[in-house]
Amino acid sequence: MPERLANGLKVRRTELGLTQADLAERVGVTRKTVNTVENGVFTPSALLAIKLSNALSVPVEQLFWVED
Amino acid sequence: MIEPSYLKRADELSRRRARMLPVLAIIYLSQQATFFSALDPAGHESARTVKIGAWLLLSAILLAALTTKAFWFEKREVRDLIDDENTRANRLDANRYGFIAAMLMTMATYLLVPFEPITATEAAHLILSCGLGAALLRFGFLEHRAHRDA
Repeated sequence: MPERLANGLKVRRTELGLTQADLAERVGVTRKTVNTVENGVFTPSALLAIKLSNALSVPVEQLFWVED
Repeated sequence: MIEPSYLKRADELSRRRARMLPVLAIIYLSQQATFFSALDPAGHESARTVKIGAWLLLSAILLAALTTKAFWFEKREVRDLIDDENTRANRLDANRYGFIAAMLMTMATYLLVPFEPITATEAAHLILSCGLGAALLRFGFLEHRAHRDA
């Protein structure tokens, strides 16, 4: 079974009351990229993962984890 | 922080590209019949030149749109946003598909030649159309999927 990078992006974003567009604005990417990361369609680079965790004020390992 | 108006514009253009790419790919691939009729030796030389020239120009524009950030008349900030990480990954994947399609068409052409001789122009046309068409379709599909539920 291949491993995949799961994330709690949507949960954390909702907790903070942010829309995908708000988060995209903070990170400097389009809404499409936030959407694909949230849905697990796209695996972000380390750089983008850290930017997302900074924007959502959580440690990166709390936002992303490896799922079997 | 990014200027919200730039982000909005980049989103609009990105969506437009996702809608346009498959349509462009279909139009481009449907031009094949026109090209081969243009090669008919009974046809007019000037008409043939115009048809082949138009096809080559269309190919060059599509290749540029596929391999660059495109939207050449937009602000640099907007173009940088349109070409964000996800788009670059999609483009790379699309180019991989295009390369494989072009290689397969080259092999098919190589096998076909002993049975049905074709000119170098025809072979080049087949390989370019196949590679570019496959890459455009794949890029369009990936961009369309990325916008789903956004």
